[in-house]
Amino acid sequence: MVLAELGGRIAQAMRSMTSKTVIDEEAVDNMLKEISSALLSSDVNVKLVSSLRKNVKNRINLEDLATGLNRRRMIQQAVFEELCEMLNPGKKPYQPKKGKPNVIMFVGLQGSGKTTSCTKYALHYQRKSWKTCLVCSDTFRAGAFDQLKQNATKARIPFYGSYTERDPVKIARDGVEMFKKEGQEIIIVDTSGRHKQEASLFEEMQQIAAAVEPDDIVFVLDSSIGQAAHDQATAFKEAVSVGSVIMTKLDGHAKGGGALSAVAATSSPIVFIGTGEHFDDFETFEVRSFVSRLLGLGDVGGLMNA
Amino acid sequence: MLVEKNVAVECAEKLCASVANGLEGKQVSGYNAVKNAVKTAMEDGLMRILTPKQSMDILRQVKVAQNEKRPYVVVFVGVNGVGKSTSLSKVCFWLKSQKLKVLLAACDTFRSGAVEQLKTHAARLEVPVFEKGYNKDAASIAMDAVKYAGQNGFDVVLVDTAGRMQDNEPLMRALSKLVNLNNPDLVQALKETAYGQGPPRLIDGIMLTKFDTIDDKVGAAVSMTYVTGQPVLLVGVGQTYTDLKKLNAKNIVKLLLR
Ligand SMILES: Nc1nc2c(ncn2[C@@H]2O[C@H](COP(=O)(O)OP(=O)(O)OP(=O)(O)O)[C@@H](O)[C@H]2O)c(=O)[nH]1
Ligand SMILES: Nc1nc2c(ncn2[C@@H]2O[C@H](COP(=O)(O)OP(=O)(O)OP(=O)(O)O)[C@@H](O)[C@H]2O)c(=O)[nH]1
Ligand SMILES: [Mg+2]
Ligand SMILES: [Mg+2]
Repeated sequence: MVLAELGGRIAQAMRSMTSKTVIDEEAVDNMLKEISSALLSSDVNVKLVSSLRKNVKNRINLEDLATGLNRRRMIQQAVFEELCEMLNPGKKPYQPKKGKPNVIMFVGLQGSGKTTSCTKYALHYQRKSWKTCLVCSDTFRAGAFDQLKQNATKARIPFYGSYTERDPVKIARDGVEMFKKEGQEIIIVDTSGRHKQEASLFEEMQQIAAAVEPDDIVFVLDSSIGQAAHDQATAFKEAVSVGSVIMTKLDGHAKGGGALSAVAATSSPIVFIGTGEHFDDFETFEVRSFVSRLLGLGDVGGLMNA
Repeated sequence: MLVEKNVAVECAEKLCASVANGLEGKQVSGYNAVKNAVKTAMEDGLMRILTPKQSMDILRQVKVAQNEKRPYVVVFVGVNGVGKSTSLSKVCFWLKSQKLKVLLAACDTFRSGAVEQLKTHAARLEVPVFEKGYNKDAASIAMDAVKYAGQNGFDVVLVDTAGRMQDNEPLMRALSKLVNLNNPDLVQALKETAYGQGPPRLIDGIMLTKFDTIDDKVGAAVSMTYVTGQPVLLVGVGQTYTDLKKLNAKNIVKLLLR
């Protein structure tokens, strides 16, 4: 899995502390150096790594450590908390409200997994007996409507789209309008992939957002993205009000750290993770249990299951 | 600095070590002279990595296949969403402009809309698609497509495949089967420029995609050739058919050392 190697290296660095008889500043520094280099190798943003390093050090009280009391736990705790902190925007994700339309717009880079995650998201709520539906406002990508249509049909979710209308703003507006009238509760708007280097694509995204007035904008991020992640995520966040993040392709074996940095850049909580191409490969995300799994500490929260 | 631009850490370390080695024992005086010597050595190191050992001239290879009276077969492989199908259609556009007769083979029989995606591109490019719908064995569709191409005077067959993660054993086995059965001329691995991933298997050439989305974080070009030893043949720089370029090693080095 993505990040498995990172988790292993951090855990290893922490273990090496327990075998030491003297824990002095040098030992802590060595451990932090190893952890930092693990984070850097997995593409975590350089600035984030250095602030994590500083913060962990501040958390660890060397004098307490010297007495040998619970050293292992104290160090583990400090690293654990700081990793959580990195993924914690200090903000709750949007909670859809029953009995009224909640418009959720999906945005992200090309090929990040928006269309797939849209369906997974719809199915997740449908299974919890919400009335969900999908709008395909991607008029750019070849076969985009067919893809969404086939997904929606497989999952038995109502959908809206057009083979002839070229204006994504109009489709989004019409689709949302229609589903609101039908009394749907979660109306998901899928959009084309885009990137910050092309201003017109970002304008289009802003126009769609203005037309459908989404209650939440979900930024879909491929977990294998490298160092470019941070800048792209920042640009999306600046262009529209991203409120949640879905991290996809965690079943791959890329390094994953770039995505973690991007999450920090959007200062929005991760709500779900995608772990495969099938609709069921989707889990609700909880920071503490994710980090704990990452470090091989077991699933403390037990909240990972959808 | 290289790492921030997406050169893999291990690769950057090796590169620095080799630069240091080369400089050891050399007499240079003054900060600026040292700086320049390091920079030149670094440039040389990067250029060495980026310049392919043997050149890969696709058009010439197509000619060879033509003389043997068989179609030239290219299989596009890569992880999910890197840009296989889009790049395939860009390559198709380019081959068509070279007056070659191209057939597309829709062998992604898994992802929703994959067949329609290819058909849409084919219609715009005015080339035929060989397809058998979904949930069929991709390897045998590819085989049939190549046979069909041979019988109908096509010069090139471009085979689209489903995206797959390298550690997904069943899917990788299915891909090996497709490649082994069809013995294509070129297996083109698609790599996203933004990504820092491990080496792919069984490939002959790399194509980097989404080069337009990464600013100066072009390090993947270096890491990728470094790890696989395979040349970067082409670079995708946008979402239209003409957004296809040859890798410009000099430019990459300039961006990396800026
Ligand atoms: N292995 C794996 N594949 C995924 C995951 N999520 C999506 N995919 C695959 O990634 C590819 C791209 O997904 P899409 O949903 O088409 O991505 P998109 O963001 O809608 O793409 P564009 O609309 O072209 O920007 C497809 O092959 C999906 O099956 C995941 O969590 N794991
Ligand atoms: N900006 C940019 N986008 C690209 C480039 N190449 C492909 N894309 C986009 O990336 C997305 C995915 O491209 P596809 O060609 O469908 O990718 P794929 O690898 O075939 O995807 P799967 O078959 O689902 O695994 C689409 O939205 C493309 O338009 C490129 O060079 N630059
Ligand atoms: Mg899509
Ligand atoms: Mg494809």
